[in-house]
Amino acid sequence: MTTSAEPRVERRRSVRRSGAAVARPGFAWAAPATLFFLLFAVVPLILVAVLSFTNWDGLSSPQYAGLDNWKALIHDHVMIQSLWLSVLITVLGVVVQTPLSILLGVWAAGKQRNRAILSAIYFIPLLLSATAISILWRALLDPNFGVPSQAKWLFGDGNLFGHQTSAIGVLVFVGAWQYTPFHTLIYQGATRAIPPVLYQAAEIDGAGTIRQFFSITLPQLRTTMITSMILMVVGGLTTFDTVLILTQGGPGTDTTISAYYMYEQAFKSFDFGGGSAIALVLVIIATIISLIVVKVSGYDKMRSSTEGL
Amino acid sequence: MKKRWLPRAVAGSVVLALGLTLAACGGGSSSSSGSGSFTVLVYGDASNKVEKQIVDTFNKTSKVKAKLQTIPGADYQTKLQTLINTKQAPDVFFNWGGGSIAPFVKAGLLLPLDDMIAKDPGLKSNFLPSVFNGAVVDGKSYGIPMRGTQPVMLFNNKKVLADNGLTAPKTWDDLLNAVKVLKAKHVTPIALGGGDQWPTLMWYEYMYDRIAGPGLFEKAMGGDKSAWDSADSRAALAKLKELIDAGAFGTNYDSVKYTDGGSVALVAQSKAAFELMGSWYYSQQQQDNPDFAKSGLGYSSFPTVDGGKGDPTDIVGNTNNYYSVLKKTKYADAIAQFLKLQYSDEFVKAHMAIGNLPTTTSTVNFLGTAAIPDYAKFQFELVKAAPSFQLSWDQAYPQTASEAMHTAVQQFFDGKLDADGFIKAMQALPTS
Repeated sequence: MTTSAEPRVERRRSVRRSGAAVARPGFAWAAPATLFFLLFAVVPLILVAVLSFTNWDGLSSPQYAGLDNWKALIHDHVMIQSLWLSVLITVLGVVVQTPLSILLGVWAAGKQRNRAILSAIYFIPLLLSATAISILWRALLDPNFGVPSQAKWLFGDGNLFGHQTSAIGVLVFVGAWQYTPFHTLIYQGATRAIPPVLYQAAEIDGAGTIRQFFSITLPQLRTTMITSMILMVVGGLTTFDTVLILTQGGPGTDTTISAYYMYEQAFKSFDFGGGSAIALVLVIIATIISLIVVKVSGYDKMRSSTEGL
Repeated sequence: MKKRWLPRAVAGSVVLALGLTLAACGGGSSSSSGSGSFTVLVYGDASNKVEKQIVDTFNKTSKVKAKLQTIPGADYQTKLQTLINTKQAPDVFFNWGGGSIAPFVKAGLLLPLDDMIAKDPGLKSNFLPSVFNGAVVDGKSYGIPMRGTQPVMLFNNKKVLADNGLTAPKTWDDLLNAVKVLKAKHVTPIALGGGDQWPTLMWYEYMYDRIAGPGLFEKAMGGDKSAWDSADSRAALAKLKELIDAGAFGTNYDSVKYTDGGSVALVAQSKAAFELMGSWYYSQQQQDNPDFAKSGLGYSSFPTVDGGKGDPTDIVGNTNNYYSVLKKTKYADAIAQFLKLQYSDEFVKAHMAIGNLPTTTSTVNFLGTAAIPDYAKFQFELVKAAPSFQLSWDQAYPQTASEAMHTAVQQFFDGKLDADGFIKAMQALPTS
């Protein structure tokens, strides 16, 4: 590259120089993003807030209903249950996916034989849409024609979608199957960024592989874990497509998580007012959770973990 | 500095172009030439091949073209109601008449078809009056019957019954006995797509009709919620419970669906003996398992129940499907011509060939040309003889009630709700 014509290099330099002259990026740089954010996040949010005080079936014009939707929501046991279910599925998701993706990520960061090929195969679920994955698993878990019919010792009568525990288990499993590769990717990158000096020093001190993993790798991955967990929490709270296709909130309302309940109220019962109220509750809860996570993790004043090296 | 504008201008115009393309995608199908076209939206299932054929026939002669769109079964009503008041709304759409179009009529979205009928009285006179009236709202006609009448029947696998020395059950006790025999042989007695919830509802509809007659549901629909708490209601629930506890549906029915072909395959592959389903079941089996549909599929009406007040010849199901027209369509004249095809001989024959039973007055002449003439005759007699044809509960109730109704129906089958809980849930449903 550097052997090419002199003038081009000249020009590039001049461009860079004039860019540097702008000093701090002004508001103009943020304008496109701000505009999109206003248009696609803030405006709909305001509309939803307004709708939550109306009765609207999506056909005629909305009727002002005062606090009716909110009063109904407070006494709605399905709504309260759905919040717990959302939290449960999120927590289970984090608990299942974190250890798996750390182990896989650390493994994938190494230099073993066939590692690249195996990793590539393992990342495939990440490329599929959640809908396709859910349809696939729904078919695979059919009690009469799917895997359960061939493995009765494990699945019994195969009524996976007929009990709350097994239905939640399926949701968590499919979620993990889909998203673990993504978090593995994050951990792989982070592991590779750990300075090799640390391991060399540990080896001299006589630390084995397991000791190295717990004393160097894990502490060095701390900030990555927080990033990954925040993504898992956000993903868990907004789980929707897997529920829609795999369980439809059933049996009964046993897997009706908040995001699905919102959809059900708005687009199946055509009560857009009630649906909007649920949506607002979700927004508020998600905001509170992310504030807590940021505070607790120190994400806002996070320091580099390679400090002092 | 001047040169820096070029990449920006390029980037800007690319963004703009992308935006315009997207906008164009959303804009839909406004007419490009003078002739134009209108869209026909139907429920996506095995009957679509007839709709396709009729649209093709229409397009051969008409300048204004019809375009067929389908929405897969389970999501039809949801998507329809979401788009019907938007620019993307279809001109003509499939529905179940009565309660399913009432909200649209109330919102002033539908075109009363009385003018069309005045010009071509055949649009009314060629259909059975009781069926045509299913889409009359507040004295005005809003739908022309399409497809066929869809009574719910008890289908069976003939071979499984024969192998176990059974026949199609005539009485409730026959059914209970069949359940006992089949269970001992490790065959699921009755296939049920419980995951879809509405197939489960059919058992309630028949049970309530056999025990209490059609009056109980009419009373409840009319707003008298005490009907759900009556002795008849409790008796019907007790009978259902008896059947469930006898193991009639196996244990994993909640993980089985009708809409993904699960329960259909159970019967076709002799893993289950019975399935309670609408008459469209025949065309579904014909599509999924043609050989079984031809020779192995048996059917009978719902068994009689001793001591019940309901007429044993009563039926439940979908009275018919209808085409309704949107008020804002620009092609009312062409649509009138299109609707005429819904009573043509070609239409009747094509539906007969896939096992549907159209409700034109000419149907009786074509019974012999049906895919299985006996099946067509059986259905025809069933509908003709029935003193009451109860519309599916989830279609009769307003759409706002259907989720809660389906949940209650599933939970009572699972034992999660007892009779009291079910009654309470039904009483909580909005009736208007």
